[in-house]
Amino acid sequence: MSSQDDGVSRRTFLGAAGGAAVTVGLAGCSGTDDGSDGSDGGDGSDGSDALLRYGRGSHSSTLDFQNSTSGEVAKVTEQIYDTLINFEPGESTLTDGLASDYSLDGQTASLTLKEGVTFHNGEEFTAQDFVATYRRFVDSEYEYYAGDDYVSAYGPFTLGSWIDDIQVDGDYEMTIQLTQTYAPFLRNLAMFAAAVHSEAAIEEFGTDLSENAVGTGPFELDTLDDTNEQIRLTAYDDYWGDGPQVDEVVFVTVGENSTRAQSLASGELDVIDGIGAQSSQQVSNADGVELVRTDGINVGYMAFNITAVEEFQDRRVRQAISHAIDTEAIVEQIYSGFATEASQPLPPNVLGHNDDIDPYEYDPERAQSLLEEAGYGDGFSFELATFQNPRGYNPSPIQTAETVSSNLGEVGIDVEINQQSFSPFLEYTAQGRHDACFLGWYTDNADPDNFAYVLLHPQVDEGELSDGQDWVSFDAEGYNTSNRASWANQEYMDLVEEAQRTTAESDRAALYNEAMRIAHDEAPWVYLDYAEELRGVADRVSGFQIAAISGPYLNLVSLE
Amino acid sequence: MSTETLRTGEAETESRGLADRVRASPFLSQLLSNRLALAGLTIIVAMVVIAIYARLSLDLDLISQSQLGTNPNRAAPSSVYPFGTDGQARALLPRVAYGAWYAMLFGTVTVGTSTVLGVGLGIVAAYYGDVTDNVIMRTMDVLLAFPSLLLALALVSIFPDELGLWRAVAALTLVYTPRFARVVRGAALTVLENEYVDATAALGATDPRVLVRHVLPNCLAPITVQSTLNFGLAIIDLAALSFLGFGASAGTPSWGLMLSNGVSQGLLTGVWWWSFFPGLFLALTVLGFNLLGDGMRDALDPRMREAVD
Amino acid sequence: MFPKRFVLKRLLLLVPVLLGVATLVFSILHLSPGDPALTIAGERASQEFVERIRADLGLNDPIWVQYIDFLGKVARFNFGESYVINRNTTVREIMANTLPVTLELALYGQLFGVLFGIPLGVLSAVKQDTLTDHATRVGALAGISVPIFWSGPLLILLFAQVLGVLPTSGRISSVYNVAAIRTTGMVTVDTLIAGEWEMFRSAVKHMFLPSIVIGVYSTALISRMMRSSMLEVVRQDYMRTARAKGQGAKITVLKHGFRNALIPVVTIIGIQFGGLLGGAVLTETVFAIGGIGTLLVEAIRVGDYPIVQGTVLTFALLFTLVNLAVDVTYSYLDPRIQQ
Repeated sequence: MSSQDDGVSRRTFLGAAGGAAVTVGLAGCSGTDDGSDGSDGGDGSDGSDALLRYGRGSHSSTLDFQNSTSGEVAKVTEQIYDTLINFEPGESTLTDGLASDYSLDGQTASLTLKEGVTFHNGEEFTAQDFVATYRRFVDSEYEYYAGDDYVSAYGPFTLGSWIDDIQVDGDYEMTIQLTQTYAPFLRNLAMFAAAVHSEAAIEEFGTDLSENAVGTGPFELDTLDDTNEQIRLTAYDDYWGDGPQVDEVVFVTVGENSTRAQSLASGELDVIDGIGAQSSQQVSNADGVELVRTDGINVGYMAFNITAVEEFQDRRVRQAISHAIDTEAIVEQIYSGFATEASQPLPPNVLGHNDDIDPYEYDPERAQSLLEEAGYGDGFSFELATFQNPRGYNPSPIQTAETVSSNLGEVGIDVEINQQSFSPFLEYTAQGRHDACFLGWYTDNADPDNFAYVLLHPQVDEGELSDGQDWVSFDAEGYNTSNRASWANQEYMDLVEEAQRTTAESDRAALYNEAMRIAHDEAPWVYLDYAEELRGVADRVSGFQIAAISGPYLNLVSLE
Repeated sequence: MSTETLRTGEAETESRGLADRVRASPFLSQLLSNRLALAGLTIIVAMVVIAIYARLSLDLDLISQSQLGTNPNRAAPSSVYPFGTDGQARALLPRVAYGAWYAMLFGTVTVGTSTVLGVGLGIVAAYYGDVTDNVIMRTMDVLLAFPSLLLALALVSIFPDELGLWRAVAALTLVYTPRFARVVRGAALTVLENEYVDATAALGATDPRVLVRHVLPNCLAPITVQSTLNFGLAIIDLAALSFLGFGASAGTPSWGLMLSNGVSQGLLTGVWWWSFFPGLFLALTVLGFNLLGDGMRDALDPRMREAVD
Repeated sequence: MFPKRFVLKRLLLLVPVLLGVATLVFSILHLSPGDPALTIAGERASQEFVERIRADLGLNDPIWVQYIDFLGKVARFNFGESYVINRNTTVREIMANTLPVTLELALYGQLFGVLFGIPLGVLSAVKQDTLTDHATRVGALAGISVPIFWSGPLLILLFAQVLGVLPTSGRISSVYNVAAIRTTGMVTVDTLIAGEWEMFRSAVKHMFLPSIVIGVYSTALISRMMRSSMLEVVRQDYMRTARAKGQGAKITVLKHGFRNALIPVVTIIGIQFGGLLGGAVLTETVFAIGGIGTLLVEAIRVGDYPIVQGTVLTFALLFTLVNLAVDVTYSYLDPRIQQ
């Protein structure tokens, strides 16, 4: 008995001792306190490579900007590829990209391209590369067309629907004929989806370009690691533009906001995005890191499905509801001040935003009297569809929904909340099955058309519209499902169509100003907020320029 | 102990009181002498009391909706708020207490339904044997081969989001049924080996009567044990599904959802109490069921014991 | 005495079972609310674009056509291409990428379980009904009752934030390019094979907490099984031998009993490994390590049906085979069951 016991206990003891030894060993390894491995991203000063670690919320497994509409994909492709035209870092004004000169005149865009720019594979950049890239995206007759199942919706959205023909004169002169006068066109060329592939790479890789990247940008692809959800880039020394000033960049995926913020605080990351109200606290409170913020170019709203709900067809009801909802409280308390109240579809930093329009005042009494005027003094009920997970323009959808519900309850309107996960929610509302819904929009190109036309114009034929009716069914032929309000206001539509075809900026601004006045007064949406952009940046990082569109501009960043 | 002695024992004790019956039943007396099982039972009873009290005395709307402006936000545990408040300024103590109600309610429905279904399938398989047995049990085998959580995840996506936690209940019911079917089939087979049943069949009793009156009561012990053990599993799986976002809808005071919020929004900002208390109660409840179930299994007839998972 | 007929019979039964699983998976996904074409097309797509995609996916075909097509593809292990998560990449490739992550976790969990669970179980059995036994039993019960998504985050809070000795998340520091030295896809193994000691240390530090969390669960399970199995065997053997040889035979009995008790435990370890793969889902989520579990959850969330199909079907096949292997081993070892 005793020897058996010893045997057992000896075994157990050894096991435990072994475990203890491992623990001690590991504790010894950590050296410095901060949980990093003692070798945080080198800074280059001691001869080691300067490595910039960028932390984000989800991985992007494609490197081809023609394969996806996701912003996560864009972050990476912006480092590897260039567009013909760029956004000024941190601004929404345009500046040179691969084109040194560009202009838009009527239906013709003329561009002069830079000479001496090389791709990562050594090939010289010429106009032919842009043509090949364009055809690969939208031309099904093209030999190297990527395929219907490959190209993203940005094909037609950004280029295909607007370009009639491209003429090339030599290697560096290009003339693009548009299908109509389209004022936003140059801005479309600055979108990440309009970047340029190398024609040689297109021919060599075909659809494998999703895993291989050959661009003209400041960084070239080193490794696409799907297993560990990381993407490594190395500096391209022959880059035509500014920088790059670090040797390597790695995009790291950390799903949870708070974990990512913690990783930044502990020195495991250098820059992070996707910061919510909670994690912003972590960043502000931590030493050695800074919370950087700027105005975003987006809008968050609640859309009335005017066709579906009879009560919403009376403008006074929509205005009443706009007055009954306390957007100030929502923005201050629920969004913790990281947003401003919205008054119209265009955010303040976009051409055409009407500065003379104020947000609807929180005024339940006015709301009540408007309802009574419209004949709904006794109230009514409707269903509010919302998504569950936070989006930039609506960081707390459930809470916002509850606030709306309790606000409207005060004026006798009963709101039933229908919450779904994002994909089913998008489908549900795209089919017009909602009574009202939350949604928002992050700009593609900082152009007013991107909000005013894309989100509130039904885009159906004249024949589908009925006189005297400011709405049209989702089932109408060719209906623009992004218009979740089913709003069809003729005056607004005319203004916005004209503004789309007007290239003179001041004229455009005037048209949009008027359109915004109508949109505000007619209230097809309850305008909730314009959200800020937040980034967390470690002190050892310098030159980081926060940008609401395009970027991150990692070629400008250096580590000390 | 064989079926005969058990039945004889029962017949003798029918006319006596409860205490005598307990003393006379080897299963129950052994169970109650097991201190661990008693500890488990105590925990469970405590949770049930909390659950019922919460259900009867708390207003669900009040503890689900945001209390920003009314209560202090993100307050640490104190004498006023023993479990602190969360990110929407809701006091955590009543929410955790109500969570006990959800755990008990949904756990009972899940386990109850899967027991009924599983028992039915198991007895049918055991009695009719051959092809029926093979078909039923092979299907059960496949379902059993999946880790319960994975299968539940795949199934839960069929059901619409509006059902909230009931989605998880439906999925888990389908997942647990095979466990019961297998256990009951095993136990039923043991019972069916007994000649007495054959004799009854020979005397002309119809199938259902035989099944219900003779096979079922003798399977009760392993069924009860399996139910108890599964209850703990059900509660954890329900919480896990809510944690992953496939269960309770936002705002619901479900332990799993509270843990999820606590982890994603609270933990690393220092508000440890958001996930600590719901998790503590969850762990205790599951421990209680496991202790009791374990004790019950120990008190079982060794042959029956093998059948239990 | 290899039970050939038994094995053959079970293999034959495999076919209808797998067919049933495939049908089940197909029906689940077609019952699910959701339009894959809309999901793929995204918010910027026109109705026309969505229709194009829908036709391309064959979603306009009658359902039985889709079913036959599905079965045909699945029989050749073709699960199609991902809709959302990694467009235009085969599900097989995506799964091959993510499987090593889960495997690594499960492996360490299993290792812990065997290393600590078996001795603990034996100790508990040998000291039956003493304080040690009770303590171990309650400990083991606590180990399986404590949810990973409670203990895990609290441990992260303690070690990563409060004490600052361990990393917050991930498998290895992002400073290292572990993809460049990839052989198995498991970071601790790959770095070891490549002889990169710094990277190995980083990998170990990152995998430490997740392994412990899963390991505790596995240890608890195995120790319980070991204990009950040991008690069963020893009770029988001891009674017989004691009667035959007298009290002094206890030592031999215990040694002999241990070996016999190990048999069912070994087979249970085989089945449990499958369960670990599933339990890894929660561990992966908590520690932000993207494995097959996380992949499945994400795929369900965004409606990436090919991935859900592929993952579920692969697991089904895996576990059915494991079950078969276990049954065969069992029947080989214990002739009584063959009857």
